[in-house]
Amino acid sequence: MDGNLEISLDKLPIKRLESIEENGVERYPSDSSYDEKRVSLIRRIDFAWALEDDEERERKKRQKKSSKDASATWQWQSMVENLQLAHQELSVIIDLINTVDANDAVTVAGMTRPKPLLNEVLSDLAVSAATKLQCYRQLGKYFKQSAKALEEQIAREARFYGALIRLQQNWKVKRQRLASAASSSEGFIIDLFDNSLYDSAAMCRPSSLSTIRVDHDSAGMLAINLPPNSCRSLHFGFLGVHSADIPKELGKIRTRGSVEQCTREREKESVSDDEYIKETHTLLREVHQSIFDDQVFEMLNREAFNQSIGVNVTGIRENYLQLSIGQGNTLFISLVPSSKGDDQDAANTQDSESAIVPLDSFDNVKLEEGKHGTSKRKWGFPNRTSCEIYLQQIVHEHAFVKAKDKPNLSGTRVSGQSGKDGPGLLGHFCLSLAHRIFSNRVLVELENVVCRVPYLHLMTHPTWHSQTSSWTIFLKVPQSILHAESQSLKSDFQNMKDAVKSQFRTKVVVNDDRINVEGDGAPNVVSLFKRSSENISSVNKYECDLADLPVIILLQAASQVICWLHEEALMVGIKTNRDFLCLTFELEQGDTVSLVAHVNPEDIKGGITWWLVMEDGSTDDWKLQMDMYDGASEYRKFLGHLTLDVLYSTLMDLVSLCGGGRNH
Amino acid sequence: MDSPTQNTSLQRLQNVEKRIIRVLELAGGVMDELANPTGPRKEFINNHCREFMKMIKDIQVTLRDEIKSACEYRPFEKCDYSSRISNEICCKKLEYVLSQLDAMKQTIDEYQATI
Repeated sequence: MDGNLEISLDKLPIKRLESIEENGVERYPSDSSYDEKRVSLIRRIDFAWALEDDEERERKKRQKKSSKDASATWQWQSMVENLQLAHQELSVIIDLINTVDANDAVTVAGMTRPKPLLNEVLSDLAVSAATKLQCYRQLGKYFKQSAKALEEQIAREARFYGALIRLQQNWKVKRQRLASAASSSEGFIIDLFDNSLYDSAAMCRPSSLSTIRVDHDSAGMLAINLPPNSCRSLHFGFLGVHSADIPKELGKIRTRGSVEQCTREREKESVSDDEYIKETHTLLREVHQSIFDDQVFEMLNREAFNQSIGVNVTGIRENYLQLSIGQGNTLFISLVPSSKGDDQDAANTQDSESAIVPLDSFDNVKLEEGKHGTSKRKWGFPNRTSCEIYLQQIVHEHAFVKAKDKPNLSGTRVSGQSGKDGPGLLGHFCLSLAHRIFSNRVLVELENVVCRVPYLHLMTHPTWHSQTSSWTIFLKVPQSILHAESQSLKSDFQNMKDAVKSQFRTKVVVNDDRINVEGDGAPNVVSLFKRSSENISSVNKYECDLADLPVIILLQAASQVICWLHEEALMVGIKTNRDFLCLTFELEQGDTVSLVAHVNPEDIKGGITWWLVMEDGSTDDWKLQMDMYDGASEYRKFLGHLTLDVLYSTLMDLVSLCGGGRNH
Repeated sequence: MDSPTQNTSLQRLQNVEKRIIRVLELAGGVMDELANPTGPRKEFINNHCREFMKMIKDIQVTLRDEIKSACEYRPFEKCDYSSRISNEICCKKLEYVLSQLDAMKQTIDEYQATI
């Protein structure tokens, strides 16, 4: 080899920094292996001169050949050369493949990328641009789709949460994070259990209805699914009495909240969200009430077997308690499912009652006299709805209202579960009902008496105590008589007004089942015996029972009339003798004229009739003239039912008969 | 921002949700515009991006306010269930009284009809 010797210098084989990154990390070239070093050394050997010599020789040869036979082999010469070059490349490749086959380590020294042609560059750019645009378009579609899906989901959830928030204003909504993926709801429950109870020891058992799961319906809206007939309500009644107004109440109340109706309504798309929420709210109200009724019934059952006063259990079944409250009256309390309508409830009452008598059970109805005889015993039951409400109220006040929040109920304060001493809740209720029934009967009797006698007036006084009732019967002197009196005796006007009573009172008080009658205007018993005519009108007080009440009232009224007449007579200066029911005037020669009252409660035209009895002086004994049937020495005239006006004028006639000269 | 019309926090949060949707729509619009074969219009993209950033800022401000002002949740301190039962009992009383009054009125009407 001739030519110039060329020397190349190697860098020292020390590690040199290749690059430093932004964060200060230094990069060194990686160590090359032994083979790599060998290959790189081989590469650095410049074979260019060999190739050039070859090429020159080839060119000279070609020039010689071409100058020799330029025309003949020109077109094939390049092909030959290309083929030779290809042959060389192929042999290199075959060597490489053999080396690889022999599993020698081969490293690729490097590959130079074929220089792209111009149109290839452009088409590459175009393809990448098109791919980018496609990606953008897909992204754009994805964003818009997710926006739409999000909008729908937000609308659904807004509906659901809007409804839930409105329910939350009234009910306790709690959340349990459920891990199970099967439940589509987010674990919301509505808790209907009241944990602020007064008597928490007694009521700490929450019923199965207390927690209600909030579900989604098909449209994503809030839905509450309750098993049918799960709500029960308290039902009260008297055995043997079928109230006429049951169907009306049930029809009004029960049709609102059945679950079947809820699902039916939801299927109709026309129900707006507002109405749907209101229906759900109503449903929750019913469940809440049902839980309360369950608690009431449980408490009553517990009380019933606590042996308190006034409670006699005569029957017990599932969800049914029967009590007797005395005087042959029996009541029952039961729990009935509240979803069905009238039929089921009527069927229930049919089952549990022995005899059903249609009854108009309004209180204080003025009775027709025709109905009086046969169904006398059945009248006077309080309305069953009001009893139901009362029962619920007293249980609620006792058990649920904290002591400091209790309103001041003077008469109805219940002593609670005191057990041995005093009636408990149920006992109090039974006693109140018993009293009510009895006082209704008393009222019937009083009304019967009063409506027959024109000058008696009945007034009921509210006592605000559930076991006491009170009435007053007024005997009023008509105004005409009073005015006539005052006109004739003007000078002593004031005295007379004070002296003569114009109104007599009889008071009837019923405590549980004891009747007390108290009336003024009756003569003093002592003065009767002394036969003095002292103007002492004292008050009579005595107990009686129901059968004797009309007679007692009439007797009291008659004696009050006699008392009034007696005082009127005294006003005009005539001395008369007064007996219990008799007013006696003395005529000349010892004859007496008496005005006698006769009392008959069975008399339907009026209870008090009057007799005029005239006696001559031969009789000494003073007795009640009704007993005398000695026709010879007396003369009786029946005057009949008289009003007070007539009585007064009769009195005046008798007075003028008695002695004209004795008037002043 | 639009505080006169949104006066409950619930409405504000619902507004945030709506803004998120709008932001997504804007992003989709920008992408579509970039994929426009005739090349994106600058003004269009500028406007969208400006609105996008503005909305993001609004969302951030509103959420921060709501989170700060969210009060501590004290569950069920005062339970009104017992007074609810009292009210139900009162309702029943009212219904009963109404039925009695209706019956009275009916009696009066019948009486007057027969006169």
